[in-house]
Amino acid sequence: MASKIKPSFETTAWRWMRYSGILLIPLAWFHVYLQDVIVGVHAINIDYVAVRLADAGWVTYNFFLLLFAFAHGMYGLRQVMFDYVHKERTRRIFSILLLIVWLVISTIGAIALAMGARPELVQ
Amino acid sequence: MLVYLKIYRYNPEAGRNVPSFDTYNIEAEPTDRVLDLLEHVKGNVDGTISFRRSCAHGVCGSDAMRINGRNMLACKALVKDVGTEITVEPILGLPVLKDMIVDMEPFFNSYKSLMPFLINEDVPADGKERRQTPEQLERFEDTTKCILCAACTTSCPVFWSDEQYVGPATIVNAHRFIFDSRDQAANTRLEILADHGGAFRCRTAFNCTEACPREIHVTQAIAEVKNAITSGGVEH
Repeated sequence: MASKIKPSFETTAWRWMRYSGILLIPLAWFHVYLQDVIVGVHAINIDYVAVRLADAGWVTYNFFLLLFAFAHGMYGLRQVMFDYVHKERTRRIFSILLLIVWLVISTIGAIALAMGARPELVQ
Repeated sequence: MLVYLKIYRYNPEAGRNVPSFDTYNIEAEPTDRVLDLLEHVKGNVDGTISFRRSCAHGVCGSDAMRINGRNMLACKALVKDVGTEITVEPILGLPVLKDMIVDMEPFFNSYKSLMPFLINEDVPADGKERRQTPEQLERFEDTTKCILCAACTTSCPVFWSDEQYVGPATIVNAHRFIFDSRDQAANTRLEILADHGGAFRCRTAFNCTEACPREIHVTQAIAEVKNAITSGGVEH
């Protein structure tokens, strides 16, 4: 038997949830370790954030953190939604809404990261 | 020892529309089974109590019920293991018809949807039988042990809330054929399980593995099915 099975949406969504979960482990833990242990919360101020967000590498890092964490959470939320919503049409509407929320918030987050922090506006 | 037995009662035909409990104090041995206690009550105290039982030896799977909150076969649950205060209820997630008897139709409909039978259009090489190596048998042997008692499916929190989910038992029985080297419809089954209500609804709560009276590694079987789907199917 050589025929491959057709990839379904559920398969792709599940795979995305697993990969994002695996990626979140180093991304989130390094973020916590860096900010809370190496730098320390008391040393973090607007200048520190501005320096960090001026670096394209850190912007990319933060964007991936946002993207994967949010996608992972949205998948979980969709699974929980299925527990309470049983009509196929309503499920589809909620799924599309979750996708839109994910896209909008990720875009807003990406714009915020790209714009960086501007200490002069705070001071 | 004296056992305090609490039995779930529901019988709309006899006017017991609201589920309630009847309680009994029974003299029992530690090695008595919960089924023995139920038989004692039914035979000597109240003949209206209803529950399914057939072989009474853990093979037919008809007496799956919730004993002290956990799905078990009443014929395999010993008093010394479950304690002297025993609550017996029907399995969850299927409509209760009467006392411990639930409507198994949704469970078997789900089971049948995955074609739980060998599909092979070819004539066997020797014209008689399809041979298999011990290694090929080992690949799916664990899931052949299923007795369709529904203990796994009705212990699954996803199944309780989502009737579209096929449930662990259906996936276990699909696994039994998907990984059988003699079967030719593995990928058809995997496509069904890749869709809504299929294997990806499993949240790996492990309730099914704990509930299985045959000690099948149910969650592992579901994970193997998920892997088979994401890797594009099974080739024998």
